[in-house]
Amino acid sequence: MMEGSISNRIRVLRFVNGEMTQAELGERIGVTRQTIAAIEAGKYSPSLEAAFRIAHVFNVPLAEVFHWEAKAAAGSKPVA
Amino acid sequence: MAFREKIGWLSLIAMAVTFGPYFAIVGARSPSGEGLPNLRQLKLLAVMAVAQMLIRGVGHLLLRRGAAHDARQPLDERDRAIMHRSITSAYYLLILGMIVVGCVMPFNSSGWAIINAALFMIAVAETVHYGVVVVSYRRQT
Repeated sequence: MMEGSISNRIRVLRFVNGEMTQAELGERIGVTRQTIAAIEAGKYSPSLEAAFRIAHVFNVPLAEVFHWEAKAAAGSKPVA
Repeated sequence: MAFREKIGWLSLIAMAVTFGPYFAIVGARSPSGEGLPNLRQLKLLAVMAVAQMLIRGVGHLLLRRGAAHDARQPLDERDRAIMHRSITSAYYLLILGMIVVGCVMPFNSSGWAIINAALFMIAVAETVHYGVVVVSYRRQT
C-alpha cells in the first residue's frame, strides 16, 4: 500500500475569509472547535463529507483545502 | 481540553479512587472462610459504588457548569470515532474476562473469588474504555 500524508490549508483559508474562528468554522460544518483544531494540526483526518463541507464554506475546490503527498518508498527511484 | 476528555479523566479518577482501594483491600485479604453472603465485603462494595456515583455526579455537574456550551454540543464525527474505538476495545476485553470468569474460574474457585474477578474485569474494561478516550483525545489535539 502506498503511504502518504495529508496536509491542509485551513488556517490560511480561515485567515483570508475574514479571520474566521475555529469555533465558527466548526459550527458551520457541524463539528466542535477541538475537531477543527485537530484537523488543522493534521492530527485527525476528517470524513469525506466534512472535507467537502469545509471546502464549501470557503467556496473553493476540495483540492485547494487538502493535499495528499505520497511518501517515497525506501530504495525507490524517483519518476522522471 | 475537550469536554468529553475531561469526562474521561473524571471517570478514570473515580475508578482509581474507589475500585482501586476496593481491589487492594479484597486482594490483600485471605479468601478462606469468606463464604456467601459476606456482608462485610458487600458493604465495602456498596460504599465504593456509592462513592463512585457521587464523584461522577458531582464532577459532571461541575464540569458542565464550567463548559456549558461544550457540554450541550452533540457528538461530532471525531467524538463518535473515539467513542467507537474505546467501546470496541473495552467490549472485547470484557468478553475475554467474562469467558475466564464464567467458564474457567468455576472449576477452581467459588463464592466471592468469582464475584470479585467479575467485578475486576468490569473495572478493567471501564478503565480501558476511558483510557482509550483520554489517549485518543490527547493524540488528536
